[in-house]
Amino acid sequence: MNPIRAYLSAVWNILRKDLQVEWRGRQGVPVMLVFALLVVFLFNFALQLSPDLQAGLSAGLLWVSLAFASTLGLNRSVSLEQENKAMDGMLMAPVDRSAIYFGKVLSNFSFTFLVGLVLLPVFSLFYQQNMFKLMLVLVMVLGLGAYTSLGTLLAALSIQTRTRDVLLPVLLYPLALPILIAAVEASRSILAGQPVADYQSWMTFLLACNILFTAAGLMFFETILEE
Amino acid sequence: MVNNLNTMSANSTGQIVVKNLVKRYHTRPVLNKLSINVDAGALCILVGDNGVGKTTLLRILAGLVRPDSGEISIGKSGSSRESQHRRMIGYLGHQSMLYQDLNAIENLTHYARLYHLPEAEMIVSESIRSVGLEESQYQMVRTYSRGMQQRLSVARSLLHDPEVLLLDEPYTGLDKQGAQFLDKRLQSLHQQAKTIFLAAHRPHRLLSFASHVAWLKDGLIVEYSSVADILGKSDLAVYLQESA
Repeated sequence: MNPIRAYLSAVWNILRKDLQVEWRGRQGVPVMLVFALLVVFLFNFALQLSPDLQAGLSAGLLWVSLAFASTLGLNRSVSLEQENKAMDGMLMAPVDRSAIYFGKVLSNFSFTFLVGLVLLPVFSLFYQQNMFKLMLVLVMVLGLGAYTSLGTLLAALSIQTRTRDVLLPVLLYPLALPILIAAVEASRSILAGQPVADYQSWMTFLLACNILFTAAGLMFFETILEE
Repeated sequence: MVNNLNTMSANSTGQIVVKNLVKRYHTRPVLNKLSINVDAGALCILVGDNGVGKTTLLRILAGLVRPDSGEISIGKSGSSRESQHRRMIGYLGHQSMLYQDLNAIENLTHYARLYHLPEAEMIVSESIRSVGLEESQYQMVRTYSRGMQQRLSVARSLLHDPEVLLLDEPYTGLDKQGAQFLDKRLQSLHQQAKTIFLAAHRPHRLLSFASHVAWLKDGLIVEYSSVADILGKSDLAVYLQESA
């Protein structure tokens, strides 16, 4: 088989397996969704802000919800592979191990992006803000892409530890802070109706984060997973 | 110490050559300049006390653990760390490597696709039949007993028809019927000239059809002998008698 085709086939097989496991078990996305919706509801009722302030806050709250929900998904992704040492089975396969990384990134991204798409109408309803904007979806793609690229790498780092549930957020949040700041700033500008030039630099930064963390995954994933 | 290593070039398909392998966990040495040469087609039982490093050795050979130093060669060229080379290795560890929320067919199909097996559907179906799990092939693995999971793990490790089999305590969790099934399967694989390197805490049931025994002690292979010559190795014979 053509090496590139074999590589892409391995990435797709890992993504397909994760989707299949999620469809059967339904232990990841529903939990992420419930958690994200709870954050939305709690902040809405706790803050009791005026419509103007709510609109300004919605970008920040959207990303807080997505970050927390994504971390839950990453933990689930790790425990899935750690249960019965299924990760060893994939590491034994004659595929480039970075394909495992990309497969896991794509599945983690898919689950979190799905949660994000569900959150958009909920935010529109509770925070009286039109969230159905193409550029906002693009920011979500870039922001979640960078977040899950970094998160999957750190989840692999924590897979060998007994305290992985605690370790992952402790490692992830400080390192992901620049991604979240850029995503919030870009989202806020989009929701405020500002021109693209005003938030283009944040979008470029998010794109750079995607490239950086994907490259880091390519370089370090195999080393991280070997004992 | 018996060191059967004559050359680092493993010329035969399935030959395992290890030279001066060192692995430390923190500062504790587990394998200390270990060397062994398992011939192609051999069924070698790796014996040794608990915690002596049997699992570590097998996991290093499988490419799952990085050694601190030393050389490993499996088959004609390269090491188990190379991606294409992993195709010739089948590994059965302490845990099943199966996904609990998938059934037997889905689990094996996942692995068949990762190994790019042609006619994966037929191979998976045949593998499940060979371990006697046809009736429960559509059940989630979560509902399987320990023995059924072990049978499916055996099918998983043999799915891609590997030349070299690394088995770590494969009889764990198997009932009498399951153990007899595994005996027959190992004998059949041995007859097919597959190289089998098998860690067993209680090796007696294997001595009737194994070809070699390697004794791991203090981080080294202290004895490596054909089964026929065990009586001449008094220490190994005593150890095997005591572990019965």
